[in-house]
Formats: sequence, C-alpha cells, structure tokens
Amino acid sequence: MARKFAYYPGCVAEFSSKELNSTTKALAPLLDIDLQEMPAATCCGAGDVAEAKPNLYLTLNVRILSQAEEMGCDIMTICNVCTLNLRRANKLVREDPRLLEAVNEELVKAGARPYEGTREVTHLLWYIATEEGLSLLERQGPKGLSGLRVAPYYGCQLLRPSSVMGFEDPDQPQSLERLIVALGGEVADYEAKSKCCGFPILLARENTALKESHVALSQARDAGAECMVTPCPLCHLAMDAYQRKAEAVNGETYNMPVLHLPQLIGLALGLDNKIMDFKRHMVPVDQVLSVVGA
Amino acid sequence: MPQTTFDVFRYQPDTSDDAYRQTYELEHGEDLTLLDAILRLQNEQDGTLAVRYSCRSAICGSCTCRADGKTVLACMTQVEDLKDQNGGQPVRVDPIGNFKPIKDLVVDLEPFWSKFRSVKPYLIADDAPPERERIVSKEAMQKIYNESKCILCAACYSECNSLAADSEFVGPAAFAWGFRFAADERDTQRSQRAKLYSGEHGIWDCTRCMYCNERCPKGVDPRDAIEKLGGIAFQEGLGMKDAGARHAKAFLYSLRHGGKLNETLLVPLTQPLKAPFDLPFAVKMISKGKAPSPLPHKIRRLDEVKTIMKNVKETI
Repeated sequence: MARKFAYYPGCVAEFSSKELNSTTKALAPLLDIDLQEMPAATCCGAGDVAEAKPNLYLTLNVRILSQAEEMGCDIMTICNVCTLNLRRANKLVREDPRLLEAVNEELVKAGARPYEGTREVTHLLWYIATEEGLSLLERQGPKGLSGLRVAPYYGCQLLRPSSVMGFEDPDQPQSLERLIVALGGEVADYEAKSKCCGFPILLARENTALKESHVALSQARDAGAECMVTPCPLCHLAMDAYQRKAEAVNGETYNMPVLHLPQLIGLALGLDNKIMDFKRHMVPVDQVLSVVGA
Repeated sequence: MPQTTFDVFRYQPDTSDDAYRQTYELEHGEDLTLLDAILRLQNEQDGTLAVRYSCRSAICGSCTCRADGKTVLACMTQVEDLKDQNGGQPVRVDPIGNFKPIKDLVVDLEPFWSKFRSVKPYLIADDAPPERERIVSKEAMQKIYNESKCILCAACYSECNSLAADSEFVGPAAFAWGFRFAADERDTQRSQRAKLYSGEHGIWDCTRCMYCNERCPKGVDPRDAIEKLGGIAFQEGLGMKDAGARHAKAFLYSLRHGGKLNETLLVPLTQPLKAPFDLPFAVKMISKGKAPSPLPHKIRRLDEVKTIMKNVKETI
C-alpha cells in the first residue's frame, strides 16, 4: 500500500514553478506515495519571516506541523527552504516542552489545533535516495538517462545546518549522485555543488547573488555537465530563470539546462513531457531531451 | 604506529610568488591533533612551515585552518578522525578561505578585525551608572549565551558564501558580537546598533548558506544571530529601510492577505524604485508563466493566521 504523506510543495512549486508540482504529483503513484493536500497550510516564511518575526515564524510552522499530525501523516516537501524551516521549528518545540506549550497557547487562541510533537518532515530526495527508494525506481523498469552527464546541485538548506537536517554528510553529500547513477546517468562532479545559489538575496542584492550562482554554474559547465539537477525550486529559479542575468554580470556563457529533481526521475521513467512542462524553463532543455530520447 | 601523509599548502613569498603543495610523512601515536601534527612537522622536518597558534586548547581561536577542505580548529581535530572520514587518503591542509595568505597557513586577518571593530563589539551603557554593579538575570543572559561563546577564530568567515561574493560583507562573527550587545539589557544602543548593522554589506546581505552555523567550533550559530538582528531591526522600525527588510516585509504582507507567498508582488515590494526598470526581464518571466497572479493566494482557515499574526509578540 502506498505510503501517505501530508504534501507540502511550498509556494514556489505551487505558483511560479508549477512544473515541479505537476511532475511530483504524476510521479507519486510510481514511487508508491500518496500525497495528501494541505489546503490550510501557510507559507513556511522562507527564512524571511524568521528574520523579521521569529516567534511568528515558529507559530506558523508549528501550525503546519499540527495539520499534518491531524492528518496522521509525516510531511513530504520538495523544497530545501521549506524542509529547513519546518524541521527547525519541529526541533525547537520538541526539545523545549515549555516553548511548545507557549506556541500551542497561541494556536489554541487562534482556533487552531495544538501540536503534540509527533511528526517528521522529509524531502522527496531523502525518500527516494535510500535503498528502498532506489528499488522502487528499479521496479518501474526505468528506460534510463542514456548516460546523460548530470551535475548534482544540492544548494545549502537541505544539507546545512546538519544538526537540523542530518540526512547525510553536508560536506560529502551523495544522495543525488546515487540517484543519477541508479537512473543510468553519469555524474559530473564539481566542488561547488553544495554552495549557495544566492536566491535568498537575489531581489535585495542581485549582483552578489549572481556572483554566487556563477560559482556552481561555471564549475558544472567546466565539469562537462549536460544539465544540472536540483532538489530545490528556489535554487532552480536562481540557476535557470536568472542564468542569463548571471551570464551578463559575470561575462560568461553557461548554457546550462537545469532540471527539477522529479523531472530527472520523470525523464528516466518515461513520464509525459507535457506533465513535466519544460517549456516553463528559461534555459531550453531540448538537448537533454534528445540525449535521453524523450 | 599510524603513519600519515600530509599534503600541505605552502606559500613562501620571500622565495617565490607562487603557492605550491608539499607532502610530509609522519609516524605518530593514536591520539594526535592536527595542530600537534603541524608543530611536529615544523619542529622535526621543516622549520619554515608557518602556522598561527597559541593555546592548543580550543579557546584562543588562532589555529583555524582547512583540513580536507573543511574549516576546523587544528587543535580540536584528531588526525585519525580525518583519515577515517577521507578513507585513509593524505590529509590536505590549507589556510582558511576568504582571506589572503601571508605565509603558508597564516592569513591576513586584518579585514576580519576591522569588520569586528565596526560593529562596536563592547557594552555601551550611557545611562547613569548604578550604585552597585548592573545585575543581569539568568534569563536575560540566556538570550545572548550562544553568541557570548564566540572565540573569534574566523572559521565562520572561511566558507561564508556572501563574503566570497562580496568582500565587504561584515560577516558572521562580527554580527554574532553585534547581537550579543544589541540584546544585552544593559546596553543602551539597541536602536543605533540596529541601524548600524542594517546598511549595505550588513545583515540583509547574508545569503543564508548556513556554513557559519555548520563550521563554528563553539556552537555560536552566527546565522541565527544575524536572523535575530533582523528581528531587532524590525522592532526598531527599520522594516522598510533596506531592500532586504522590505523583502521580509513582503512575506508578512502575503501571509496576512492570503497565507501563501505572493511572488509577483515580492519584486516591486522589495525594489519599488528599481523594479520598473527591469521590464524586459519581467516580460520574459511572464512569458514563461513565472509571474503568477498578483491577487492573494488564499488558504483555508486564513482567519487563524490573521489572529496569530495579531496576537504573537516578539521577545528578542
């Protein structure tokens, strides 16, 4: 029987990067997961609400955790930033019963359900890059990636701080690599795969942010990658939507197609291109599609 | 007896302008810190090898360097642990990142110290002195306990991604100290500090790469301090002053009006003066469907969120 999760796609996947949401939903049955919608969940605050009003950040995120608890499910995310914000709130209240009590008091006052601290938050990558997850893929008889050279790009917040995230060594992550190889791709390895994409300050400090994305984009290009894959829609925006701007600021050409994690899996499993909606990408992915014969 | 190969970054500007790498072999006991290994190499094999150190006990913050690419206090790092982690490869030793090497593992820390000084890292209490000492409650001290543990080792600057992209970024340790005093109930400069830290290259320039929290050997969590300084800036009425603060404010606006982020409004709310001049990019984004409706994205039970936003008090 499919494992149920409270599905928390995050705002970017729901709106500006809809292709990530549609691909994840289409993949779910193939990966033996049943994604339950969370219609009353707010934005996690993306670190911005925490930066302006830390107590508010905590209360809103615990409200989301409590909704999952009511549904009897753990939460599955498809965004680095949502994962960190929810996990951090979860850790804070689980480690401090007095804090949980204070947050619950606010929730109850607002007519929301109090949280008992029983839920976990995981990311799709963490679910799929385990032995069990990879065997699920195997069972689908993937048509594979035909040796496509893929640069894994983790970004920051799925790895650090490891005291909150803890799935793998933040300095030598291997989950994306395992997945790429299992799907019949080749890994284009490069040092900056867990450096920052600059997205959190992209609107406020565009030049600094574009210098940050340059590091990973240029290294991935130099490693001979035919595309990059990321588990985070914010990294995707920085790397894909803002790539031409990064080229202009840094005086370089990357021409690097950037895939959302579920799109890479979808390509290997032969998911319909219409669902994966590559037309919404700023950097064309035609070359990638022709390599994998999609 | 274990034997270890060290692959060490060398830079000897007196003899050459170019950095190079040198390999050393060392036979040693099971328990050997990286600093002791470097000092043994210096004493027994190569007196020219330069390293900065003092206490050997993880309190002076001098011997910060990179071991296999990761910034550590050399005196707090066991060589055998490094080999366990790297699968028995030679241990790579490098100076910390984001600073200019002066000689071998010693870097020029002047930019670090000048940024540290720029945050006024000392208590400023310009109210009338009390008759006796200023007593601080345990609860009040608890708020700044983490930041008080900083030993200024600069490990947090070594892999700071904002600093790598902007050499003027004030940086994690300086802001940890800034918070330590801004949130000290004896300090009378909270509002002035919030202004001082909110400028260009200040707290809103932090890219949240989380390397500082990851690398800090003392559990200071400098990123959390920067985040709390953002909260103080908001409390001090600076929520519209910097584009970074306006960006955060746009999230609050989205939450209040719909519960979900309104990405399309985020741009003009963050950069009201610049956004209209970025029209070609906006057109491209719209053509790719990356500019969703600017109307509020309403969740169910939004009233709960509105009540929470009205009720929750900030306590920094």
